[in-house]
Amino acid sequence: MNPPADKSQAAVGVAGRNGVVIPQQSADRTGSDYRTYEVYQRERVGQSTEKIKPIQLVSDAYRVDPYPLLDILRENYPCYRDWLGNCFWITRYDDVTSVFTDEGNFETRPKAWYYGLSHFGRDLGEALPVLEAQAACMDNRSEDIAARLADGLKDAGGGNLATQFAAGFAVELLLVTWGIPVADTDQFVSRYFAMQRGTSWRPSLQQAGKQALDELVHYFEELLAARRADPGDDMVSVLAQLELDDGPVTAEDVVRTLLEGDHQTLHGALANLWYLLLTHPQEFEKARAERRLMKLAYLETLRHSTPVLSAQRFTRHEVERFGRLLPAGALVVCSAAAANRDPRVFDQPERYIADRADMCHREPRGQYRADGLASGIAFALGPPSKHPAVPEDRPRSAYALTRDAAVTASQTLLATVGDLRLADASQPQLAALSVGEMHTCWNLPVEVPRG
Amino acid sequence: MSLDSVLADLAAAAEDPQLAPREFPLMPEGEAVDMGHAEDGTPLIDPRIFDSPEFFRNPYPYYRILRDHYPVYHDKLHNCYWVTRYDDITECYFDDEGFNTIPKGSSSGVLGNTQLELSGIEHRRRRNLYGQHLVGKSLENRIPAIERLAEEMIGDWTRAAQQGAPYIVDEDGVRSVELGAAFANEFPIRVVCEVLGFPNEAQDDFFYWYNSMMSGLGGSDTHKQGVEARQHLEDYVAGIVEARRKQPTYLYDLDGNPISKDIISKLCETKVDGDYLSTEEITSNIALIVGGGGETTRGAILNMWRLLLSHPDQFEAVAADPDHWDRAFHETLRHSSSIGGQPRHNTYDIEMHGVTIPAGSLMQMVDFSANHDERIFKDPEKFDIFREDLYSGKLLRSGYRKEGRCSHMAFGVGPHLCPGAWISHQESVVGSKILLKHMSNPRLNTSRMPKDVDGVSPAPMGIVSTRELWVDYDLR
Repeated sequence: MNPPADKSQAAVGVAGRNGVVIPQQSADRTGSDYRTYEVYQRERVGQSTEKIKPIQLVSDAYRVDPYPLLDILRENYPCYRDWLGNCFWITRYDDVTSVFTDEGNFETRPKAWYYGLSHFGRDLGEALPVLEAQAACMDNRSEDIAARLADGLKDAGGGNLATQFAAGFAVELLLVTWGIPVADTDQFVSRYFAMQRGTSWRPSLQQAGKQALDELVHYFEELLAARRADPGDDMVSVLAQLELDDGPVTAEDVVRTLLEGDHQTLHGALANLWYLLLTHPQEFEKARAERRLMKLAYLETLRHSTPVLSAQRFTRHEVERFGRLLPAGALVVCSAAAANRDPRVFDQPERYIADRADMCHREPRGQYRADGLASGIAFALGPPSKHPAVPEDRPRSAYALTRDAAVTASQTLLATVGDLRLADASQPQLAALSVGEMHTCWNLPVEVPRG
Repeated sequence: MSLDSVLADLAAAAEDPQLAPREFPLMPEGEAVDMGHAEDGTPLIDPRIFDSPEFFRNPYPYYRILRDHYPVYHDKLHNCYWVTRYDDITECYFDDEGFNTIPKGSSSGVLGNTQLELSGIEHRRRRNLYGQHLVGKSLENRIPAIERLAEEMIGDWTRAAQQGAPYIVDEDGVRSVELGAAFANEFPIRVVCEVLGFPNEAQDDFFYWYNSMMSGLGGSDTHKQGVEARQHLEDYVAGIVEARRKQPTYLYDLDGNPISKDIISKLCETKVDGDYLSTEEITSNIALIVGGGGETTRGAILNMWRLLLSHPDQFEAVAADPDHWDRAFHETLRHSSSIGGQPRHNTYDIEMHGVTIPAGSLMQMVDFSANHDERIFKDPEKFDIFREDLYSGKLLRSGYRKEGRCSHMAFGVGPHLCPGAWISHQESVVGSKILLKHMSNPRLNTSRMPKDVDGVSPAPMGIVSTRELWVDYDLR
């Protein structure tokens, strides 16, 4: 067996019987986690899961419309043992939220882990100055950006709203937040998308992602040095000035922070919001008639068609839950898409109702319910914030910032163009680029009536 | 490239129909589908290939890519790590504390909680209870019964041919026989029934239960049928166990003298930690013996005959010297075994070939690949019963390297070495000797064999063994 690639790590590990390197901490544990087998229940006739085949959960049907398959899981097998994917699917609202708020039993692995780069840089996204810089940008720049993009659509008499407005808005906001020079825009954006998509199971995306990640490290080396010398108010400048106990901020830290951040909820939910509004004329009318309803329409979008369908958690130790024994290290796939359409929680869950009465309309605190009502789950934003909704000593949560940016963008679009409709004969749909990626609308051709 | 075109490309990708596993093109045997390359030329592995028909018929070129480029391959689609080199796998098999067998693997759904899923002292203690009945003196005692069963089955062929059985055709003094249906499918199950002491009238049910269980292993389309069959088998065996607790039954030699108690009767009077084994414990492991003793031996017999008959010089050597059957058996299991590999879970966070593997991950140890590891076996795709680098003596649990040669991995190695290895060996060799005795000038009938995608050559063995094997021989 080859020696470990990283010698510094080998120093803190011990060579096991296999020449395999076992980190000291693990090796200190006594014995294995042996359990007598009576503890594990085998599947009985009544528990067999013939209504679904695991291959369907990675099929093209799931990529385009996962909801019928997820209904089968939620209504029949609330903790589905997927032999093919070697995981457990959790699909009911109360179950999913119970896992999300239980860091003690369920581990969230960072995106860097999916790259096999657990020791790559530091994720500084939670540092207060970073949060403040991000919040300032999202609050102050959203309207300008949205107005400019909306003008573009108006001048052209229409276009692809999903890319030119929704994706464009999220990307431009990202660019100004991070202070990327205009000249670098295109290259940066293609590398950024490649890096975010590189956590996939697809080898071609992994390769492209790894390459993009290396290039971004190289790119930020120069930018970081420049911002150190001449700081602005963008994220890179703020990161450059952070004082940390374990050494100055490096380009790797910057890229790691960029990687662990979330653009999907803003981009995906904004595209899905407009997809749903344009395909549900009644709800669109409501949102146009009453300005405040745009926020509710956005929240209902997160529930009805969440862009991040599921999140992965790993059991930290053996956990007995959902009538099953989940072994240590087991992968638990929590499906927000299934939970958000749980009829135990939401009335007529498959319907898109902008001003839905049985959903919480304010940001939940610490848990997923408030005012006795459930809220839609949007995972990529993390569990509900434990801080007050408008904290004095820190910016609002990512959930609130993203919501406000998307709502501002949508209201600005509506104010600029006046009216919008789907292009004739267009049949937009939601789909992921590949199984496991963001579920959103990529082609939403619209016309702006001249008036 | 402009920002608009970056986004437009993504939008176009969303419209692009995705490749489904069944859409991987079928390749000539031994060649891999091109799944793309990294910048440095390293071939990429798309994990959907593992679910594809192409992989099932032609797995070896893909394992070669894994061995050469990804000795530990993190498959995020199946949430596991594939381990493919001989040395890595054997070392992991010997460390049953560091690489445990707790039941997260795909077999436990149908087979239940069995020996496969125990580790350490608990495993050793119980394994010996079962294993001792399948080796040494106990095994020798059973050989006459095995011979009798084989003679009975083959002796029935002429009657079957006259009654128009679809698997035997007599024409112009030549008999074409499908060795699977006529012999290998049922023979191992009958042997299992015999050594377990099940009555003859239960054998048809057994055959059905066994087939259902095998096709219903984890996650397959027929999973429910498998679980049901397992339940019926369990109910049936539970009745037998209760009966044997009161009234033990015996095995008899050809002269009708009792040799020893059958396995179930012995297990009924066995104690662990001062307690008798529970009925559940006995039935689970009986299910494992039924499951493990059938398909594997069937595949060994069919693959061995197919490989020998397609290498006539080696077949001649075996026919001339029956001692060569042992070599043929072991080389067959190296070249085309019936068991793909075994799952393990690492007990600790580890690093292997530079890949960090968190504790509790599923590690797929691919025995198929180890058997074709060119680091151990020269020219591994070649079938050669006289190869110098394969150990083909008596299999030992304590080691897999003897006399400077390595054993094949079809039975695994280490504490979980297949307890049926010896009896399976005897069944295959004894059965084959008797087959040879009854068949004059046997040769493959390729025109009747299931065809590969080209419609001409016989379907490859792949990872599911030979499905049908048609052999012609001269009627004397």
